[in-house]
Order: sequence, then structure tokens, then C-alpha cells
Amino acid sequence: MARPSLLKPFRAVRFLFRKPRTLRYPFQLKEPAARYRGFHLNDWDLCTGCGNCADICPNEAIEMVPQPDLIPEPGTKNERPRLDYGRCCFCGLCVDICPPASLRLSRDYFHIHFDPGTFVFTPRDEKTDDSNFVPDEGYSVLKASLSHRKRDYEGFSSDLDYALFDPQRVEMPELPPEERKKSFIEQVLGYSREQAVREAERCLECRLCEEACPAGLRISEYVEAIYRDEPEESLRIILEDNPIPSICGRICMKHCEDACSLRFRGESVAIRWLKRFAADSVRSFRDALEASPGEPTGRRIAVVGAGPSGLSAAYFLRLLGHGVTVFDEREAGGGIIRTGPPRYRLPMESIDRDVDYIASLGVEFRFNTRVGRDIRFADLQNDFDAVFIGTGYTISRSTRVENADRCLLALDFLERNKTGDPVKVTTEVIVIGGGNVAMDVAREALRLQYIQHPGVECSVKTVSLEDWDQMPATEEEIREAREEGIVFNPAWGPDMVLLDGGGGIIGLQCKKVRSVFDGEGRFAPTFYEEQKMVIPGSMIIEAIGQGADLSFIPEELLKDLEYTPRRKVSVDENGMTSIRGIFAGGDIVNVNMDAVTAIRDARTAAEGIDRWLAGR
Amino acid sequence: MRDMGTLLEQLTSTFDGVRARLDDDGRMRLEAEKESVMSLLSFLRDSGFDFLQMVSCVDWIDRGSMELVYVLSSYPSTDGGSGDLLYCILKVELPRDRARTVSVIPLYECAEPYEREIHELFGVDFHGHPRLTPLLLEREYPVPPFRKDFDTRKYVSDFFDSIPPVEEEGGAQ
Amino acid sequence: MRELELYFGPQHLGMVGNFSITLQVEGDRVVKADANPGFLHRGFEKLMEQRSWIKNFPMVCRMNVVEPDSMEMIYAMGVEKLAGIEVPERAQFVRSIYLELARVGSHLFGLWAYANMLGFDTVAQWAMYHRDLVLDLFEELTGGRVYHIYIWPGGVRRDFPAGFEKRMVETLHSIGGCVPDYDDTFFNNSLFRSRASGVGTVTREQALRMGGSGQVLRATGVPFDVRKAEPYAAYSSVPWEVPTREKGDAYSRIWVVRDEMIESVHMIFKLLDSMPGGSVYTRIPNPFKWRIPEGDAYVRCESSRGELGLYLVSDGGDKPYRAHFRTPSYPHGLTVLEHALEGANISDVGNIMISLYVVAPEIDR
Repeated sequence: MARPSLLKPFRAVRFLFRKPRTLRYPFQLKEPAARYRGFHLNDWDLCTGCGNCADICPNEAIEMVPQPDLIPEPGTKNERPRLDYGRCCFCGLCVDICPPASLRLSRDYFHIHFDPGTFVFTPRDEKTDDSNFVPDEGYSVLKASLSHRKRDYEGFSSDLDYALFDPQRVEMPELPPEERKKSFIEQVLGYSREQAVREAERCLECRLCEEACPAGLRISEYVEAIYRDEPEESLRIILEDNPIPSICGRICMKHCEDACSLRFRGESVAIRWLKRFAADSVRSFRDALEASPGEPTGRRIAVVGAGPSGLSAAYFLRLLGHGVTVFDEREAGGGIIRTGPPRYRLPMESIDRDVDYIASLGVEFRFNTRVGRDIRFADLQNDFDAVFIGTGYTISRSTRVENADRCLLALDFLERNKTGDPVKVTTEVIVIGGGNVAMDVAREALRLQYIQHPGVECSVKTVSLEDWDQMPATEEEIREAREEGIVFNPAWGPDMVLLDGGGGIIGLQCKKVRSVFDGEGRFAPTFYEEQKMVIPGSMIIEAIGQGADLSFIPEELLKDLEYTPRRKVSVDENGMTSIRGIFAGGDIVNVNMDAVTAIRDARTAAEGIDRWLAGR
Repeated sequence: MRDMGTLLEQLTSTFDGVRARLDDDGRMRLEAEKESVMSLLSFLRDSGFDFLQMVSCVDWIDRGSMELVYVLSSYPSTDGGSGDLLYCILKVELPRDRARTVSVIPLYECAEPYEREIHELFGVDFHGHPRLTPLLLEREYPVPPFRKDFDTRKYVSDFFDSIPPVEEEGGAQ
Repeated sequence: MRELELYFGPQHLGMVGNFSITLQVEGDRVVKADANPGFLHRGFEKLMEQRSWIKNFPMVCRMNVVEPDSMEMIYAMGVEKLAGIEVPERAQFVRSIYLELARVGSHLFGLWAYANMLGFDTVAQWAMYHRDLVLDLFEELTGGRVYHIYIWPGGVRRDFPAGFEKRMVETLHSIGGCVPDYDDTFFNNSLFRSRASGVGTVTREQALRMGGSGQVLRATGVPFDVRKAEPYAAYSSVPWEVPTREKGDAYSRIWVVRDEMIESVHMIFKLLDSMPGGSVYTRIPNPFKWRIPEGDAYVRCESSRGELGLYLVSDGGDKPYRAHFRTPSYPHGLTVLEHALEGANISDVGNIMISLYVVAPEIDR
């Protein structure tokens, strides 16, 4: 501390002659910092209307407002956030939680108005909002407001490293390709309790998935139950809408995950694996759930087919108190799910768990009973109050090229491998097709080669009309098949099967595909006829698609059955076909052709039957 | 006497009904009956806990109790030594419907505003406090407003006129 | 002589912030003072019980307008302790630098308040201008000038932008270059000394008895500073001194403030020199599902005014069960102030109050 002085302070006088430091607003402006937290910007094309911003806002300043101009789709709602700048504190939590990074803050902060209505504002950004965002030369600070803002003036924006959600999913333990291709052991090992809780924690509860799920499962609720470490509760919620969780937990086409708001900058929540975890971690469904069928109604309903739609219809009808008998030609339940998906994807035990649970509710199953052969369809009509048909697509189509009769058909191949004596495969197998069934066939053939020809050089090749970008199989299946060493020949069409003198297959002649679909998107392949190639092989399996077999329905009824333009059985809002008292669902009705859509059909039909019976 | 372990032993042998433990980070946790608060605090003060950082109150409505929390520590010696500081959290539970205890102002002068505030916000009575007059609030409340059974939202909507929501003006000018 | 009751504040030139004191005066001598807080009581602690852990983070800073940063820090410390979150080392350094910058800004604001109240308008303007330069730095780092909303549980919200260190050093150098001007015009001004010396004296014994901390205590020669006593962030990573004075009057307190500011700037330079690399944020759990295990904790840090504490209780839920802030202005503005005003001259009331460095919103919360 120096000696206090009376004179020294007068040194400050010299500042009188310095230039002032104050900015002369509005002629002199201070440029806000690059990270400035000003008014919001929202890219409407990226925004999904998930509402996470509104949920995290500490001041309830954000409201999700429906926008009539926008059409909701799976994965996007037609709502967009509206800000009340009387409440907003510009903390930016909404930016840090925004999964697609559509919501950002700009560097604008001027808004003066006598009308409080102007402080409530639905932000957009310069991409779509021409009237409110003006370029630099047209911008004037004297007009600055929420409706007069500078273009390209982004401030605080999202950074994935600091996001409030976790973009990475908990990795699912799987058998490595080298190991799994040698056996039929289930490839996916399933989450442990701790992993499931960790994965469930990622869910932001925006419920975009629930709108995308055909069966309308309450996904965020059952995921939350897993997070709370209550798998029984989770399973109970699942079973309210989905009676086959062990099956769907493995082979669901997961429309939900495609709609997850985390999909944009990270991985979707592993909803399917979480469902699988819930189903697998409950030892006995019956003990854990204490579900019981409804009050007996005295009505009896016949269900034809014990596949996903038949099982679901039986379950929902049983819960409504109806007596249900399920007929199926196979020796156990599951339908195409039992004989189609390979064991490494869907083990038998998982199917049996779901079927056993449905049976435990009092549903009667009559297996080894083919309607039309072992029991007349007319008997069903006479003995039961209503009939539900969920027979699915059970016939494999053939390419019908020259010598195609020498080939194996996909569904027969898969069924024999799963429930009977495995097919004897050769060392060079060709699979025709690019869908998920073709992938199953190819990967099974590969496994059989390892088992039947140990130590011998073998190959599995696929041929598909579609090129890589059009191939109907899921990316996951294609990736896994390639990991296992399956060779793909996309954009080649089968021309003829080549035979040797003794009638044995020696290869497949293919021609190059010019286009698969015509101008209107219909399947109408064209070829470069002169561009040909021969793929050598001693065994060919055709997996190009399946069709329905409704031959069990008597002719006189069948002629009254109406179809949609896409050759599907036409049903009304109750799930009833054009024949009175006959309801239908599943692959013969919907175009998605997957288990979860079959569940939706079955539920519609079950509720429809209930209403129809009540009104009769 | 600045060894927490010895102190802990002394405490449990001297005072009946005091539950004491040492936290992982070396802080002492004490739980005591309200009757022994004065003697306990005076023992603690004489043992080096010369700094009452705060008095807090937690309403455990499900347990039916009000918990007073005395956070204590020690000032360093004037030479700036910091290796031998003491920390302690003392909790005393009072029945929620008869939340009464004795003021600790005679031991720690700085408890005065804390006790006054707790009286106002939680309705705890401190016997011997010189002025239990309102400190922060200006109105009377049906129940002390920081108690868990005081519903802030309901109070606001009952007491103040509800504010109509402002709607967005078509095309802000 | 007849005793009068005199209301001092909240609308009084000598009063900083919404606070008032009811004085019993006899002539121009204060007989008894009664502090009246509550003008800014917003019930934050009650509000916090109704908001999730992350939603509280933009709110806690509003408890202290002048130095919101320590509030963010103490809340983050409390949550991290209850939830067992480890903070990366670089984040600790960023936090320390940020908090010291905040201390400089807050002290400049305090200097403005004090000089303004005494009538040293020139110095007050300088201090305000220099604080604005610090706010520019905050704007660049955090996107906000006053409420920075920067330290959150798990670390800090963004790393330094490119070139920030350099600009920070430049700004601090330019402020530091004005210290001689400040000294000549204010600190070594004999008018200031005669106005502040011997005014509002709080003895060491009184300060200790009344729960004093910060400048109130350090101006009586006790080198008590939470940054030393119980180091947090990166304060144990670099050497630094705790400035003290002996007399315990307003003059000593303001000098401690001055020395602290300089020490803070030096500390920032040292921290910058030994700053580690790496991440500045440990991802916290999904905010919509975040539950913190049952427990309670008292955490404390040194704000620019003294010991700032937080008693935080979780019942295992997604919101705090109870949060209670121990703000330094609370004992200073209520217990110590009332005591220091007894026997003071009316013209010194504002002087004493501001030299005790009381911030009203901190008392009310």
C-alpha cells in the first residue's frame, strides 16, 4: 500500500482528452459472439416435431403446435415448436436436446413491440422463411425484430459431444461371423440386465416410435419400465398390445426404430432388443402377469392358421371372453414363423414360449389339422360363430426359367432344415432372390455346407434382379450375409438352369438387368439380352417371393371373395372380408407382410368380431 | 484435539442416543435427539467446530418429521493451516405437528437469521429466539410455504388472477 | 435526544440492490439497525423441488445477479457429489479459469458500486467499462453476457472456442494495465482513505463469531478461503496467495477486493499455462430419466463474497428433495451488518453495507 495522496488522483484528468469508449448505438453496433444465445432458428425440414425441446424447457416457454400444412408421417409429426419469448430464458437446453439438430439459436436479439402477441413466435430458418429473414444488404437494425432478421446469423448451435442424449446404443453382444456361420446357434446373444437398463435409459420418451408401430405398442412405457428395472411390468405393458413378444423381440421389422428421433445423428434406441430382453428375462409369463381371459361370452370362433395373425387373433378374442379354436396343419404353433426364419435368428423355444402362453389362457389348438383336408371349411362355418383366416403366404414362387423344375424352393428348403431332416447341400450353391427370405436361405445353405462338408472349399452365391440400392432385404441382413462370406451378384436375372448330360445342375445362366420397375413403379424387369454370364453351381434354390394358398375355401365361396388392386384380400374396418362372418388378417391382407402388422390386423379383426357378434 | 476418530468415540460415550459415523470423505455425520442439541453443540464448539455454516430444515412429510440440519466446520488457524479442518453435519428430527426446539443463538450467533427463516418458511418454533418475526415474506400463508404440503401452483392460481395465455399473432410484424 | 425510525432503501442512492434497513437513529448516529430482506424472495429453493435436476441448472444462476457463476458451480458440485459423477481434469481447469474470470467481473462490479456510492464516479465508470470487457469474454465463451449457464453437472457446456485463450489474456492485460490508474485515482486517494478508514469495523473475534467469511474475515487477518481450505476444481493445481489485511474496516475490505482481483488474474495465467487437454464434459444420464440416489450433501465453494454452500437432498427421485443455499451475503447482510451499523453515522450506512459486499438477491433467494 503506497502512501495515500491528494494530488495523484488528478492524473485522471488526462482521460478527458481520450476518445470515448461507449458505442453510439444504433449507428455503431456490437457484433454478438459466434456462440450468442439469441432468438431461435428451426429447420422445419429436419424438425420431426418430437417435442423434446418442449419437454426440457425449464420455463414452459415452448409449446408444440400442429401445423396444418405439414403431413404427419411415421417418424415425423406435423407439430412444430412455438416459443413464448415472454418466458424464454435463452438457456439453450432445447438446442442441446434436439435430436436432429434442427433447433438452434441465432445471434439476433432485438424485438420491441407493443403487442404481446408478437412475442409468441413459431421459429423457422432462412431455408424456408423468405419473408422474415433478409439478406445483409436489406437488413436494418432499426427494423430488427422477430420478423426482420438477418440471414445466416446462426449463434449457439448443437454439438453432439455435448448433447443431452446418448447417440450411441449399447452394443448387442453377437457371435462373430467366423463362429456363427459354422452352426445354427442364435447369433444375437441378448442384453444383460445392466445393458438393458443402460440402453433403455437412452429413450427420450418422445413417442415418435409409437405412432410408427403398426400395432401401436406403448413403447416408451415399456422401455421406461425396463429402465426402472421392472421387466415384468414391461412385459405386461407389451402384452396388452402384442401377444408374441419373444417372437417379435427377435424378428420384428422394427418400424419403431426407423422412426426413433435419435436416428438422425446417432443410433435408434434398440427397441426390438429391449422387447426381447423383457420377454426373455421373465421366466414364466403366466406367473408374472396374472392375466386372465374375460368373462365367458359363450361364443366360439375358429381361427385358421397359427401364425402371428392367427395367434394374435386368438389371444385378443380370448381376452374378450370368447372361446377360440385354432387350426393349423403344422405340428405346433407359429405358422410361417415356425418353419421360415432360421434357428440362428429365431429358436424354437422362443416361439413355444409365446404359443404356450396363449394356450395357457384357454385357447384350444388343433395342430396337424389342415382345413379343407382334415376338416371341412363348411363345418367351421356351421360350428363356430365366426371364422378368422390368417393363413399367410405359404407357397414359394418359381422363376419358371428353363429347367427351373430342377431347383429347390425357398420355403421347402427352410422348413426342412428347421423342422425335418436338413437338406443335403452341395459345395456350390446358388440362391436366386434378393429379399430377406433369400438371405435366410443363403445363410442356412452356408451353415449346412460347414456341417456337411467340413474342410471342403464351398461357396454360396446369390443372384438378384435388384441392384444394391434396390435390394429388398434389410441392410442388416445383407451386411451379415456378406460378413459370413456370401457372394452377391446384384442386377442379374436368371435366364436358364444349365444341366449336364445326366440331368445334374452345373450352373445358372444369367442376363444383365436393364431395369426392374417400369415408369409407374410396377414390377416389369427388362434385360440387356446380349449380356450373359454363367454362374457355376450344383444346387439352385429359388427365393423370389411367396403367394397365398386359399384353396381350402370351397369354390362357391371363393368366387365371392374380393381383392384389393394389389391382390390382397379386401377387408372392411372390422376386418371382415366380403363373405359374411369370415374375417381375415396378416400377409393375405396387408402389404407390409410382417409379424407386427399381422398383430394389428388381428386386433382389428378381434375387436370387429366382438362388435359384429354383439350386434347380431 | 482434532482427530475425528477420537472425537467420535468421545461423542458416543458421552452422549446417549447419538448416532455417529464418519463419511468416506472424512465428514462426521451425527443424528441426535432434540433434547441433547444444546449440550452436543456446545461440546462440538469446544472441540473445535467454531464455524456454524448454516442451519437448514427438511420437511420429511412421509415420515411425519421436520429435520433440522446443522452444518458445522472449523475456521483455520490464523497462520493459514488447512490440513486439520473439521466437518460435521448434525441432524435432529422434530415431530412435524409439534415442531419445536431450542434456539442455538447462545452458542452460535449467526444462527439467528437461519432460525428466523426456518420459523417463517417451515413453521418450526425456536424457544429463546429474540425475534421470530417475518424475514422474507410479506403475506400470511395457509401453511408455511416451504412445507411439502404447500402447493405452489395451486396457491398461485387461487391467489392471483390467472394470466390468459398469449396467442401468436398471425404473421408477426 | 429523540429517537427516530429511518427507512434506508430499497430506493436510496446509497443502496445497491433491493434491500432495506430500518434504522433507529438518534441525531445522525445509528442506535439500532434492522435488516429487511425479502424484496427479491422468489422462492427458488421451493421451485427447485419441482423441477428436474437438469431444469434447475439454468435457474440457480439467477440467485446472484452479480456473480451467477459460483451458483452454477455449487449446484453442479452438489449434483456431482450426490450422483457420483467424475469431472474430466480439463473441465476442472476450465471451471477454475471461468470462475476466476467471474470473480474479476464481480469485483469490478463491486468496485463500481462502492466507488459510485462514495461519489468517485470516474472510477465507477472505469470499473463498469472493464467489467463489460470481461462480459465480452463470457459472451464469446458461453453465448450469454450476464447469465452464462455454463457449468453444468458433468463438466462445462462447451470447450474454449479457437483463440479464446489469447483474447482472454489480452483483455486481462489491458485491464491490468489500468491498475496504476485505479490506484492513483482511488485506492491511494486520501479522500477514499479518510472516507473508508475506521468505518464499519468488524473485529476478527466478531467476524468469527458471526459466521463471517470472504473479505469480511480476510480483512481481519484470517486467511480463510474455501479454495485453500477445501480445494475444488483446479485450485490445488497452481500456487497462489490469499490476500489479507488486518484492520477489519471498510478500507481493508476494499483493499482485499483489489488484491484478490489481481491474484485472480495471475491465477488465470498460471492455470492457462498448465492446462491439460482432453474432454471437458462427462455425459450425464438422459435428463428425462435421471434419478439421483437417495442422500444428502453439503458442498461449498468460494464465491467472490465468501463461502457459498449448498445443502442438497435427494430422495432418489428425478428432482431435488430439498436445496438450501448458504450464501455469503446471508450472515454478512443480516448478522454482521446489523452489528456493524450500531453506532455508525447515518452517512456511512451505505458505505458499510457495500463494503460488506452484500448482494440482496443472494440473501432472499
